[in-house]
Amino acid sequence: MTRRTIGIVDYGAGNLSSVQHAFHMLGHRCRISGDAQVLDACDMLLLPGVGAFPKAMENLIASGLDRYVVDAARQDRPLLGICLGMQLLVDSSSEYRLTAGLGLIPGTVQPIAGARWHIGWNRLETVSDDALFRASDRESFYFNHSYALDVPPAYQAAIARNDAPLVAAIRRDNVVGLQFHAEKSQAAGRALLAAIIEGLCP
Amino acid sequence: MIMKRLAAVITVRRGIAVQSFGYARHLPIGDPAVIAQTLDRWGADEIILNCIDRQQAGPDYALLDRIGRLGLATPIIYAGGIRSHAEGVQAVKLGADRVAVDALLRDAPGEIHALSESLGAQGIIAALPLRLADGKLLWRDYRRQTDSPLGETLLQTLAAGRISEALLIDWQNEGSLGGFDADIIAAFPISDMPIIAFGGANEPALMRRLLGLPNVAAVAVGNQLSWQEHAVQGLKSRLSGLPVRHARFAGPEVRA
Repeated sequence: MTRRTIGIVDYGAGNLSSVQHAFHMLGHRCRISGDAQVLDACDMLLLPGVGAFPKAMENLIASGLDRYVVDAARQDRPLLGICLGMQLLVDSSSEYRLTAGLGLIPGTVQPIAGARWHIGWNRLETVSDDALFRASDRESFYFNHSYALDVPPAYQAAIARNDAPLVAAIRRDNVVGLQFHAEKSQAAGRALLAAIIEGLCP
Repeated sequence: MIMKRLAAVITVRRGIAVQSFGYARHLPIGDPAVIAQTLDRWGADEIILNCIDRQQAGPDYALLDRIGRLGLATPIIYAGGIRSHAEGVQAVKLGADRVAVDALLRDAPGEIHALSESLGAQGIIAALPLRLADGKLLWRDYRRQTDSPLGETLLQTLAAGRISEALLIDWQNEGSLGGFDADIIAAFPISDMPIIAFGGANEPALMRRLLGLPNVAAVAVGNQLSWQEHAVQGLKSRLSGLPVRHARFAGPEVRA
């Protein structure tokens, strides 16, 4: 295993320590920063997120990190978004009010169909042949969200089933998003994060 | 399909994990951080850190920070002393994944709106110590040691979509064996709100009955889970047939 440096984008979202420790447990270094110079030196960027979409985008824009993240992704740097961080990757969200996202993957964030929340452990079903997710098929991961992604099938890597299928993982080349908290999903989460780092970082 | 959860409760008083009986008597157990690590390794679905003496002092940030730094891979729900939106947000920054509020529902329900804007409704749980009297639910106020009916303000707050789950605490049976009063759930008026049942819900037969109810998302169990090796797996193995996550050792690989 090659030891990588993960740049955790600090834009005021909560619970950065959980993702930091998850990567430490895997043997990687972490830098938590909103400073472009620090993040430039990292092998992979991680966009975390807990909370509501409008506030998160407001913070990203206020800090200028929205442009940084978009530019980095367009320069083919590996980028992983987790939970709200995944939702920020798409075009817009209707949570509380219509808010533009980063637009790195086509799609929108909508209320979950048929349910108010999706909280707890659910099984992942892979819907593509993406090697990053192959070993995670049928494994259980921890979800905690009330809005969900609507993205074209071409970008869907995995789903979970609630009353209706939910998009659980997305990918567009070097940009990956996980709706669930892999860092809080015990052994299954660690295995997936390890596969993503291995697969995205050249 | 989303699975039903077995949440492990660590009750903390004066910084020490305690065994609690009816929220009235307490026996010391040990370091809550060590217990949290153990429960993480044993594969609890969630850990509820319930700090019961923080009404005046506010959230136990020092403990949260200490547990947050352990890098546990199990979701943490923090409960205890959250008096404002800012304190709830800070608890999440220090390592909680979700927060449970009790006094805030009485003292400043308007703060729930702001908290929800920051954390999302999925991050907020209403902690409701309850008992039944003549078929009516009474809401316990620990500070005043009084009970009162669920008021309109509380019901409106619960129904407003800013809180995702209700932690229904049978405080009278807390610490008892198999004592959770399932009629509390039947009497709870917000029928579409997922419920976490806590307080004497520790016998497999009762847990099975509770988890079989459509609106029960989780059962929370106290110190029973931290005493016996691999207690989480042991209990889950007795819940076969229910939609619960497969129990397995979740810690680092142990090599001979």
